[in-house]
Amino acid sequence: MSEVQVKAQTTPDPGIWVDQHGDYLFKYALFRLRDATAAEDVVQETFLAALKGYEKFEGRGSERTWLVGILKHKITDHFRRMSREAPIGEQSDDGPEHREFFRAEGEEWTGHWALDHAPTDWHASPAELVEQSDFFRVFNDCLSPLPQRTASAFTLREIDGLSSEEICDTLSISVNNLWVMLHRARLHLRNCLERNWFKREPR
Amino acid sequence: MPFNWYEQLKHKIRFWLLARLPTCQETVQVISQSLERSLSIRERVLLKLHLWICMWCQWYLEHLLTIRTTLRSQAEKNPEMELPTTATLSAEARERIKRSLGAE
Repeated sequence: MSEVQVKAQTTPDPGIWVDQHGDYLFKYALFRLRDATAAEDVVQETFLAALKGYEKFEGRGSERTWLVGILKHKITDHFRRMSREAPIGEQSDDGPEHREFFRAEGEEWTGHWALDHAPTDWHASPAELVEQSDFFRVFNDCLSPLPQRTASAFTLREIDGLSSEEICDTLSISVNNLWVMLHRARLHLRNCLERNWFKREPR
Repeated sequence: MPFNWYEQLKHKIRFWLLARLPTCQETVQVISQSLERSLSIRERVLLKLHLWICMWCQWYLEHLLTIRTTLRSQAEKNPEMELPTTATLSAEARERIKRSLGAE
């Protein structure tokens, strides 16, 4: 085998790469970053890094898994860059507090659930929900109104299963700040899913 | 239905307790934190008592767990969380990326 042939086999064709994996990586990044421009940028950075470091891949495992591994790092880098550029000030928005879910001061049972926002029985198991692709569309719509950073913190925690420490490090926030963000995201999402997926009308 | 003094007593105890325990608004914060760290003994006892008398907060906890389990098993099946609203790389971005990689 001549040297030229060996080279042809070990260097990927970037054009085909982008066609094969571009959309997949873009969706992966978009879901976590919730910003199309930023998602395009990290996908581009991923391909560039992959091309540069192709000899490190050596055909171990699938090309896509390898690319996703690089993408995860690029997503983390993006979050770091963002928090350097716009550090969280005291006035930063962690998401809605949703005080209206609870009975106001002066009412009977102040601080307990307001009747029209109290949770109801969903009668649904995760195994059933996972089969309904519509559930994720509703979930995604519910996540959208949250501040980007809060939505990302929620995604990293509940979907990627990162630990609190890892998320605080990535987003450069304190653990108390993370807990507030997660709590607000959960309060908002649970209610939004109940209204829009389980179709419960306010009482 | 015959007069059920036991049910009435239970009802009274529950309301008496509920008025003395942390409110639902405070409890949902603790419920959220219970997914992040281990609670102190005091927090655990107060939470257990609250959940014993408050169906709403029981459902709240159940829903948070349902959401977590559903999302994680979906992510395992489908890591890019592909949504029916099919977002794809725009033709323009695709070309730009290809150019940056040196492909024509």
